[in-house]
Amino acid sequence: MSAHVVCITSGGGLPIFTRKKGNAETLPFSMIGSLNGVHMFAKAQRLELLNSLMEDHCAVWKEFHDSILLIGISSGCTIQVLNKLLESVFNAMILVVGIDAIKAQRNIERLKRELRLCYPIVDRLLDSLDCGDTTNKHSSDLIMMVETILCTENHLIRIVLESYTECVDSVYSCILIHGKIAVATESWWDLHPDEIKLLSLLATIENTTNSKDIPVFLPHKSPNVAYRFVAVMLIPNVQICCLCGPTPLLEEIEHSAAQCFKSTLELLESALRCHPRNFPHSLDAEFGILGILLISIKYGKYMISRHPTRTSAKPSGNGFHRLDILRTFYYQAVMGALVPDNWENISTSSNKREQSKKADKKEERNVKKSNKMECTVNTETYWCSEYHKCHAIIVDDNVLCVLYNSTIPTYSMRFITPRVLKTLATDKQLCW
Amino acid sequence: MEEQQILLPSKIDNTDDCSCEEWSDSSSCSSYYSDSDSSIPEWESSISSTGELLFIDCDPVVSHTNVHTEKENLNFSKENSARHSTRSKFLKLLRRRDSKRRSKRYVKSQDASTNPDTNKVKFQDHEEGEIREVILNIDQRNRKLGRRATLVESILGLTVSTLSDGCRIMVAGFIPDSEAAKQKNIKIGDWLKCVNDIELTYQNLNSVLEQVSSENEVVLRLQRVAGIEVTKNPPINELSNQSNFVQQLVNSKADEINIISSILCEHSVGVLYINTESISETGPEFEGILYCYPRPFEKNLLCSSRGVFITLNHLLHEITQCKPQVTSFLWNNRLSHVAYTSFGNKLLLFMLPDNRASIKEILLENKEITRMLEFMYQTIDGCFESDLFKEQLDHFFSRFFTRLLCSGLWPKAEQSVELFNITSKAQQQGPQQFEDVLSVAHSLILPDEAQMQIDSALTELESSDYREWNEEPLDCQRLFTFLGSALYHSGYLLASHLVHGDLIDIHIFCRQQGLFHLSRTEPVRTLVLWREVFPLSCNRNIENQSNSTVVPEGRRYLLVVGSGKDILAALMEAGGCTEPAEDNMGPDAFYVEEAQATLAHLQDIGISNLADHWIANNPGLQVAIPEIPIKRKTDFLGTISFSKTSYNTKETASPIQKKQEVTSILKRRTPDQSTLSSASSFYSLADDNSEIHSEDSLSQGGYSERSESDEPVLGRRATREKRNYMESDEESDIEDYRDGSYSNSSYDITELRQSLLAETADIKPQYLTAGNENVLFHYVQLDTIEGILLCPPENQYNSKTLENVLSNFRKCALQIHGVFQNTLRFKQMLSQDMAKSVINKSLIAIKEYGVLFECTATDEPSRKYGKLTYWVIGRLFYVPHPRELYICYQDTIPQNIIEIAFKLGISD
Repeated sequence: MSAHVVCITSGGGLPIFTRKKGNAETLPFSMIGSLNGVHMFAKAQRLELLNSLMEDHCAVWKEFHDSILLIGISSGCTIQVLNKLLESVFNAMILVVGIDAIKAQRNIERLKRELRLCYPIVDRLLDSLDCGDTTNKHSSDLIMMVETILCTENHLIRIVLESYTECVDSVYSCILIHGKIAVATESWWDLHPDEIKLLSLLATIENTTNSKDIPVFLPHKSPNVAYRFVAVMLIPNVQICCLCGPTPLLEEIEHSAAQCFKSTLELLESALRCHPRNFPHSLDAEFGILGILLISIKYGKYMISRHPTRTSAKPSGNGFHRLDILRTFYYQAVMGALVPDNWENISTSSNKREQSKKADKKEERNVKKSNKMECTVNTETYWCSEYHKCHAIIVDDNVLCVLYNSTIPTYSMRFITPRVLKTLATDKQLCW
Repeated sequence: MEEQQILLPSKIDNTDDCSCEEWSDSSSCSSYYSDSDSSIPEWESSISSTGELLFIDCDPVVSHTNVHTEKENLNFSKENSARHSTRSKFLKLLRRRDSKRRSKRYVKSQDASTNPDTNKVKFQDHEEGEIREVILNIDQRNRKLGRRATLVESILGLTVSTLSDGCRIMVAGFIPDSEAAKQKNIKIGDWLKCVNDIELTYQNLNSVLEQVSSENEVVLRLQRVAGIEVTKNPPINELSNQSNFVQQLVNSKADEINIISSILCEHSVGVLYINTESISETGPEFEGILYCYPRPFEKNLLCSSRGVFITLNHLLHEITQCKPQVTSFLWNNRLSHVAYTSFGNKLLLFMLPDNRASIKEILLENKEITRMLEFMYQTIDGCFESDLFKEQLDHFFSRFFTRLLCSGLWPKAEQSVELFNITSKAQQQGPQQFEDVLSVAHSLILPDEAQMQIDSALTELESSDYREWNEEPLDCQRLFTFLGSALYHSGYLLASHLVHGDLIDIHIFCRQQGLFHLSRTEPVRTLVLWREVFPLSCNRNIENQSNSTVVPEGRRYLLVVGSGKDILAALMEAGGCTEPAEDNMGPDAFYVEEAQATLAHLQDIGISNLADHWIANNPGLQVAIPEIPIKRKTDFLGTISFSKTSYNTKETASPIQKKQEVTSILKRRTPDQSTLSSASSFYSLADDNSEIHSEDSLSQGGYSERSESDEPVLGRRATREKRNYMESDEESDIEDYRDGSYSNSSYDITELRQSLLAETADIKPQYLTAGNENVLFHYVQLDTIEGILLCPPENQYNSKTLENVLSNFRKCALQIHGVFQNTLRFKQMLSQDMAKSVINKSLIAIKEYGVLFECTATDEPSRKYGKLTYWVIGRLFYVPHPRELYICYQDTIPQNIIEIAFKLGISD
């Protein structure tokens, strides 16, 4: 139930920051030094130390651009997830200071100071590890993917958002409800999933003011040149975000936001009611479904809900536990099996669909030792535990994981899950 | 009585130089030696100073297919059985005599086999001699030669033998009227060097021929071997009988090991045992290293970077409070893993590359190797710290790592373990493993009757009850007690009378030492292995189990004897109620012979043939061969797999068996097969069958009753079965039982063998899956406590789809197995530990895990083919002890894995 992330300069071995989660003690400097030293010594022996596995813990070393070494140690999760976390942490660092500052390291003290901005983001990123403790209020975070909310009003809000985007002279904008994307422009979805995720986190952390105007370096799109990230709070828990150049001024952006959304405030308020459930009340899931997780591989977005059935509306503490199970199921059984590992590299390119299919095949072929005749993909997987059942299917680019009551017969899950997926993915109002 | 009298003088001869007292001491034991001809066993000279023994003797000229050996065996045992017609209670007595007679006959048959045809010529070979190339048309008609024909005979029209080195191929004769016979350039005695520029050796002969079999023309390169010398008894070099593999097992030449060691240094493999406490700054460079392979230290990757792993082992433990299990790193851009095992202050590191062993696999391998070393040397400390075992360990690890880098797997005979081009081979991705990395014995469940015979033979061996046999009163203490024994046939466990933990120990030992591989691939005539061992059940980890029952002081020995494909392993104890053990005690000839006699008896009554038959045909639980379905024909799959099975049955059946098979095919006629054959053929088969039965009843006394009673039923039963397969199953079970008791009541060896085979014929193919068609591709039932694994025998079909499916199955099953470990660990956890544990709470109760695969053809005619979808499902059962079941089946109708597990359970 603990996780550590340590950031060290790989040249000098100076610690830049350490973050932790859970009830563990902070790592003393000597240990940090040893962790770095082991990696350095291995390097001298022409070994690149990657990871270590213990019974319940794992540790990962990852060096970036020969300048920064990130070390992660966590309980309960897999090496794969921890690897992604470190990548994401490094992206968060780029987001705040840009790649040049990290590579050059002219003034370490200044770098340290500047990187303080990314601590809250890193802390939130740590929440996406499935350490297996149920007290986490951010159990709904998935690594390298952005959470969305499916409201019936989405298709209407989208029209307004598009006109707003024109007003602020940008193509990148989105609307966040409780930090989850309700609607976003096409270009916003063209960003790398991790960029979208980090921007969403950036908008939601430390919400002390109504508006934010922060310079950001996009780790994949423009790691050297900063954009302006502007988030305007329209009503509590509803934010309008956009990426733009030096103009227009913040006041102008605030003004156009108020103008454009003046008439749609009611819509937004009704959309807010969707919140803890994350998908419309009008859709009722079948009895026996305890939670659902809908993922789009193409965009790197997901929707997770712990109260899918109306009848079980009574607030219970179990909800977070359900999310934990779904998340662990996703990390252990779906990610890497149903979802090929390299999908995020593909999703940025234009001809996504074709490419991702090809890549699937390529991947499989590698696994199968260049078997030219046949290609195999996983399309479905399930777990039965004493108390729950989990079932996941992949159809085209969408993955749906459903948490069932243990009384549901295993075979009937195969009929229910595709039906739920179809309902959610084809509903035009939801803009999935 | 007479025997004894004859025996004694020869004994005296043998122990001439012993003092009189000594002689009388040992006489009570040594007088049991029934081998009157040669009292010194052939393996005696191979015993090492520590009393260990590994003796392997192979047939020098190898028959190319197992069909041949089977036939020989059958003839041999036929003549043998004709001499005895005693009742069952005398079997034991018979066996004794039998073993003696065999030893004589062995000598004869040995002669015969070294010189299989007296008019066949042998040539001494010299390198010089003209090389000729001959273009040979392959006549596809020659394929009709019959199923007995070997590949060489059917494809090239040649019969071949080996040159005196046992490896190179020599032309030994022609098939009449074949293309080759007409060629003037091919002469008997030529060395057949190449086919289509592929160099031929005895080992790769069949695989090369399979490659070229589809072509119309092949180019043979032959070399005339000069200096012809025709001999009747060619002087065969001792070593030349042994294949590379046997040589590897028996000899540990220091220079060879050094070469291997230096090659291995270039790869990320290694093992290192270090004392972490005594390391100081002032000490010499390689201080604290207790054992290291490959050497020298300077070139060993593990050795030079040991600091990393020692630090990690210490550091990670401090941070997380749990021991590291494995560390991964990149070396020369290749992913490799190092597994840790701590023993107090000492640390064992074990390194393998990822393309040969994934993280999960290296953990299992590491566990298995550690366990084997403990079995062999009692403690890891004792094993690595003493210089005595260093050579043995070097030898073992050199074989282990080369095998891992070259071929990856034991089981398949084609994968010859060779050293050359190791570097290129080591780059390839190893095959997925599941069944072979788990420390469990793959067991083969024979029919009850056969099982009973094996059990009684083993029990008799273990009881060491010699009263009946020896009329003189025994006044000496026994040398050994049998703790248990186990019988294997080509690596499959047939029966075990061992404590579960010991069975796992012995299985691991035999597998890692390559004994199973030996019995599968080499024509073993005699295999004798003897060494002191430390089985789990006998105080291996005293400090760990303080409250366990106290096992009497004593020493335990492992005796393994083998012949043909059979291996009998017995665990023996000296001390306790028997004579106290001496240091470096060697094998006792009497006990070795006892074990050999038991094995010979089991082969005699046809267990060996039955097991072969069983492995080849898998008559019990059926698995289907996956094919990517062609569109429009959805039921294609079921029929294909069925016809293949029955075809195969005929192929390997011996004459007598064949007749039985006709019956069996009729009996096991299932709805979908009856649609295949027309009605007329059905009747003609039935007619044949009745004739055969009357024939049978003439020759076999007790058997006639059965066939008569069976006859009228046949038609009715067939139709009834056609109507309802499941219903008749129940009834016929009872009949089978009755039949069994008939044949049981009175029999001699012949009858016994007949009845064993007959019982095979009666077994109906069973389907584990629900529905009319068999959709099951593979199943594995894993019992890690008992150390038993049940799965269909290794298939002989060359299907790429099947390979693919199985590879996916194994990968997936290993992953599922890993997930289940969490559940098991949590179940065993004490409640006070639960709160402290950081185990992921979402993983603690998973009992079933399924993955659906979808396989499509990617080549251009893919439009013709549909998709093949199949499930891989694992299920964990806790009661009475943890058991895991993995199945792989085509996705048609929903299957219930609990039901399948139940069916599998009752079919045992």
